[in-house]
Amino acid sequence: MNNWFKILAAAVVLTMGIGLGQAATAEVAAAPAVQAAAELPQASDATLWAELKDGATGYTTSTSEFHNQPINTYDLRVLELRSDLLAPALMAALFGMILIFALFIMVNGISKLHHGFSGKLVYRWSKLDVSIHWLGAIPCLLLIITGLILLAGRFFFQPFVGEGVWAGMVYAAKQVHDVVAIPFMIGWALMTLMWAKNQLPKMYDVKWFMVMGGYINFGPFKNQHPDAGFANAGEKMWFWTFALFGLVISASGMLLLFPNLFEPSRTLSLIALILHGISAIIICAFSVVHIFMATVMSEGGMECMVSGYCDENWATQHHNLWFDEIKANGSLKYKE
Amino acid sequence: MATMKFLCDTKRCIECNGCVTACKNENDSALEWGIQRRRVVTINDGVPGEASISVACMHCSDAPCMAVCPANCFYKTDEGIVLHDKDTCIGCGYCLYACPFGAPQFPKKGAFGSRGKMDKCTFCAGGPEETFSEAEREKYGANRIAEGKLPMCAELCATKALLAGDAEIVSNIYRERVAYRGAENGAWK
Amino acid sequence: MKLTRSSNQAAKTEAKPLGMSRRQFLKTAGIATGGIAAASMLGTGMIRRAEAKTVSVPHDAPIEIKRTVCSACAVGCGLYAEVQNGVWTGHEPAFDHPFNAGGHCAKGAALRYHTHSDKRVKYPMKLEGGKWKKLSWEQAVSEIGDKMLKIREESGSDSVYFMGSAKFSNEAAYMYRKLAAMWGTNNVDHSARICHSTTVAGVANTWGYGAQTNSFNDIRNAKNIFLIGANPAEAHPVAMQHILTAKERGATITVADPRFSRTAAHAHVHLPLRPGTDIPLVYGLMWHIFENGWEDKEFIRQRVFGIEKIREEVKRWTPDEVENVTGVSKEAVYKAAKHMAEHKPGTVIWCMGGTQHTVGNANTRIYSILQLILGNMGIQGGGTNIFRGHDNVQGATDMGLLFDNLPGYYGVTTGAWQHWSRVWDLPFDEVKARFDARQYLGRDPMTTPGIPCSRWQDGVLEDKSKLAQKDNLRLAFFWGQSVNTETRQMEVRDALDKLETVVVVDPYPTIAGVLHRRTDGVYLLPAATVFEGEGSVNNSGRSAQWRQQVVEPMFDSKRDMEIMYLLAKHVGIADVWTKNIEVKNNRPVPESVMREYTRGMRSIGYTGWSPERIKAHTMNWGDFSNETLEAAGGVNKGETYGLPWPCWGLPEQKHPGTQILYRTGMNVNQGGGNFRARFGVEYQGESLLADGSFSKDADIQDGYPEFNADMLKQLGWWDELTEDEKKLAEGRTWSTDLGGGIVRVALAHNMVPYGNAKARCRVWTFPDEIPTHREPLYTPRRDLIAKYPTHDDMQVHRLPTLFKTIQDKVVADNLDKKYPLIMTSGRLVEYEGGGEESRSNPWLAELQQEMFVEINPADAADRGIRNGDTVWLEGAEGGRIRIKAMVTPRVNPGVTFMPYHFAGVMHGEDLQYPESGGISTKPYVVGESANTALTYGYDPVTQMQETKVSLCQIAKA
Repeated sequence: MNNWFKILAAAVVLTMGIGLGQAATAEVAAAPAVQAAAELPQASDATLWAELKDGATGYTTSTSEFHNQPINTYDLRVLELRSDLLAPALMAALFGMILIFALFIMVNGISKLHHGFSGKLVYRWSKLDVSIHWLGAIPCLLLIITGLILLAGRFFFQPFVGEGVWAGMVYAAKQVHDVVAIPFMIGWALMTLMWAKNQLPKMYDVKWFMVMGGYINFGPFKNQHPDAGFANAGEKMWFWTFALFGLVISASGMLLLFPNLFEPSRTLSLIALILHGISAIIICAFSVVHIFMATVMSEGGMECMVSGYCDENWATQHHNLWFDEIKANGSLKYKE
Repeated sequence: MATMKFLCDTKRCIECNGCVTACKNENDSALEWGIQRRRVVTINDGVPGEASISVACMHCSDAPCMAVCPANCFYKTDEGIVLHDKDTCIGCGYCLYACPFGAPQFPKKGAFGSRGKMDKCTFCAGGPEETFSEAEREKYGANRIAEGKLPMCAELCATKALLAGDAEIVSNIYRERVAYRGAENGAWK
Repeated sequence: MKLTRSSNQAAKTEAKPLGMSRRQFLKTAGIATGGIAAASMLGTGMIRRAEAKTVSVPHDAPIEIKRTVCSACAVGCGLYAEVQNGVWTGHEPAFDHPFNAGGHCAKGAALRYHTHSDKRVKYPMKLEGGKWKKLSWEQAVSEIGDKMLKIREESGSDSVYFMGSAKFSNEAAYMYRKLAAMWGTNNVDHSARICHSTTVAGVANTWGYGAQTNSFNDIRNAKNIFLIGANPAEAHPVAMQHILTAKERGATITVADPRFSRTAAHAHVHLPLRPGTDIPLVYGLMWHIFENGWEDKEFIRQRVFGIEKIREEVKRWTPDEVENVTGVSKEAVYKAAKHMAEHKPGTVIWCMGGTQHTVGNANTRIYSILQLILGNMGIQGGGTNIFRGHDNVQGATDMGLLFDNLPGYYGVTTGAWQHWSRVWDLPFDEVKARFDARQYLGRDPMTTPGIPCSRWQDGVLEDKSKLAQKDNLRLAFFWGQSVNTETRQMEVRDALDKLETVVVVDPYPTIAGVLHRRTDGVYLLPAATVFEGEGSVNNSGRSAQWRQQVVEPMFDSKRDMEIMYLLAKHVGIADVWTKNIEVKNNRPVPESVMREYTRGMRSIGYTGWSPERIKAHTMNWGDFSNETLEAAGGVNKGETYGLPWPCWGLPEQKHPGTQILYRTGMNVNQGGGNFRARFGVEYQGESLLADGSFSKDADIQDGYPEFNADMLKQLGWWDELTEDEKKLAEGRTWSTDLGGGIVRVALAHNMVPYGNAKARCRVWTFPDEIPTHREPLYTPRRDLIAKYPTHDDMQVHRLPTLFKTIQDKVVADNLDKKYPLIMTSGRLVEYEGGGEESRSNPWLAELQQEMFVEINPADAADRGIRNGDTVWLEGAEGGRIRIKAMVTPRVNPGVTFMPYHFAGVMHGEDLQYPESGGISTKPYVVGESANTALTYGYDPVTQMQETKVSLCQIAKA
């Protein structure tokens, strides 16, 4: 997998061009004579090939896509980028992050509620909020897994399974990936639009970062409890990253999913493919963090996205400013 | 081992589309309306400088389609022919984006990227099914290479513009032609 | 033509998946259809009566190889057909074939589909009460035959029209002509009328024979190639193999064509003349040739008659006047002339662009005269390489499948009928009795040419008092001819409506079967394709090849000669028709037919042919050189491929054929010759015989008249004949001496039987003695009409023919203002002729899915038309067609171009095609016929139609 791309540029030239190279040499050697005005220019092979390599289009009886262009040139390094960097990077973003986090938790331990559970549940998310979270989240998990198969499967999985299994696996991956992309995008759009106002950065977010959110259980960070509003600075960062790369991944995904609607050029499709991969890596890495934070790292965190209510102690420990605010303005609601 | 290549001599190509229907003729069992594995493109159409070139899969030494395929359905024969396995193909269309020559084609243009199984020029070398089997014929078309013959498009070319065969032999033929034209006739510039 | 996505989709609904090729069709009860795969796309409801089973042919089934010849044009490309279990399963290139070396164009490479196309008519059908119903062959033949007899009873034999085909083998063409003769009419013709009839007339009247003088392969020897009105890159692609070889060897190429054609793309000089100004353009070339003394003075002195008249005419065509009339720049004309002078030998190639004009006969003469002036005749690399269009149009023309000829160009004079009566072994009086004996408009039906293919509709519609025959046409056979290739489609439609009976004999319903608005009286008889029968065909270069039968006739189709025989039997002429011809299973045996016509066609030297010799050539392709067409060894050693006529003497004498006509540098016994003494020995006191020029080794080293019995006696050579020969030769000429003695003696003296004369620039029997420019009837240049007016109206054979009336009307009604764009037409590489067969072949149809018109960007912009828009094009006679616009600089401003292969739509409305075997016969692609918009205009000598210049207006739909 490492060598083919190095001579790829040369290869394309060669393949067409047993015609290309040699024709050019021979033609350049013959000095053009001055032609009378009435004489038609006899296009030289060199100019012709130059035109073709520049992506000249022409007439053809074929009605297939892109068939009016004999040669579409683009930077062939995108292929290398995809197979040599993006594929391993996505693997790393998923499995690497899981590994790192697992190690971190083993060393650091989780973030416990100092006062235990109070048993009083504070209203935090509406039913709608919970629904759209899972509308985006479940497809997101599926997309990560299927996307990983599509991007990196041939390198990391195919060698270990039979041909039939592989064919079924990659086919299923594509079908699932195509279908769940739609709810994912809806979820992404709703979350981005509905939650943005709670995610605006504040000055105290800087401090939150300086003490690593208080999750570090040793050294100077130990037992710090930085201020946090409805969302803490880490969540805000995740939100905006997700909003931005969710946009990129959705837009590039739409191009790939509905080519007949958008009619992207081949080069644009390839760019989309690359951007899709980069976004996937970032979202994947953040998702791993997000999942760890919510489930394992932060005691009592998961409850929020199950029932929509959080423990009062959890609220005061992790989102003190928000809790103070709802207490002050009377919008605090306990679970009946 | 020979390395198979196509070469189109644009000075001879007259856009007669013989190569296109030759391909249809030989591979009709695998093709359907709308799929042309080979096509002729004319640039500068209708003005001085007009030139035609017959294009299909060039069976690249380091093929972008092979590199980009998520399903890894492509493989290369000992003769350097790039083939693919339609059973593994998932119809994602990435090879179409990656191929500089627009060779891969899909039977459908539906939404959700459901393009169907990719089809492209096989250099008349069939596919991964058993040679000469009904399955090979219906999925990939003819296997002339196994019969010891070259691709139909080049064999039937009206003006011998399209050449196919071992890269070295093909390029020698072309080199000779260019040299002959250069030496003999100034008008060929 | 660039296609929009929507049209692609539309076509897709019609299309069926490919992949039936290896399936065998088993006939059940005479009905078979193209398999479940095909039918399923059309809905299962439509396979009502399909009782066919399909059986897949295994890959390893034994392969039989058949040699056949492409049916798409007259280059004559050979191919190997692989047949397994009776199914044509493979096409292998014939690399050893001397013409094409394995190469094919789109049409040739797609031939295999034709035999098993499920768009074919599967069994005899009849339109009755608005419904198509199936008939048995017996019933169909008997109904049609009875109708013929009834019409003869009431209106005479001339009211039956025999439209024939350039797809016939030589044998079928000959038998069809003979069938018309036995029926008693000259109303028989085929597409050569609208193809190269003006060439045959113009060229034969210049130097003796009206055919391509050299060969495709000989073009390799040319140093200059002048193509005028020819676009071989689309119409004869394999000819480009030879043209481009010549170019690689240093030849210069000039293309005169209103469009920057695919061929022009390979040329050094392009002369974009205004359509219909060939004569001024060639005079313009001659002006430079004479001005600079580039003419071949010795050649002209020895071998050309009447050059003074030409010199006089040339004087008036100064570079300025040529530029004014043709629109071609002075520099380009000079450059082209200079190439002709500096690069010799040079050849001239022309096709329909030159022939299909009201001045067609004069066009072909001026091209010939150009070659005479340059001294390019009778040499390698020279000559007039006239590319014919259909696979056997040369053969069908030779066979006299024409309204004015019997086989061998004998004409329809009493002498011709007497000669052929002797060949047929029938008393002349008995043959004569078959014709209408009365005179009409002072003309005798037997010796007056019939109604031409181009104007059969006038034979139906014209007031019968103006026809030189008893009554209008009442029944017409359209046997292998698509009438959408004829101009004035609206009248064609009216004529189809008015005919009492329309009989289409073809593998497809063709446009004659669907264009009409009738509910009764249309018969479709399924003819086999050329690959389902055997016989000889002549390519454009006069070489004969023998097609082996590839497969048995598909479905319930029958071969042409069998259908003819069944009809002949029903109308009671089968016995005289096949008097000395062997008949097996209702089919005249091709070999036996060939032996009869070679005996009769002495005038063009068919006597050296025999089925055995022609087959020996076809079975040994590899022995013949791709360079010279000659066999260096083997059974045909020293012979030229296909024995191009004239092939003198008897088969046993082994004449090698004449690849290059009029070649004085060679002995006539090896294929040499000289111009033919066909027009007498002197004219107005001047000798017409050659002056000091003669074919190599000739005993008389000067000009001499054609041989006849008296001449042999005068020369003292009479006694060289045997006693038997003398009996047959007495009172005969070389071309009517059935014993062949006169020819044998002439050859023994190394002399050409047809004499040795000059070629003539003046044809005093034609309306214009020398080629004279006349503005097209529908001219966009009314300012030139006074100087270059067209002919006065005249009666040509049986039909009145308009010239001045139309041109006057253009001016009076301001038609040139109302229709300011020139309309011209031509070929596409994917389709052939009327296109019925090729548009029914999905491999081809997919490539050209829309009828279109090429229009210059400037004209398009003026009309707000964008590339791919739908437009209405209206011809100057009001024919409106709805087509796509292709905006391209290929055509000059003011010029539009349309392909003529489309049909199936008229005035924007789809025509209804019948179903046959449960499957619609509608071709995969249909479109408006260009000829719906094309207008009146006919050559005064041959009745060639004008398809290259008319006027139109285009508007966005």
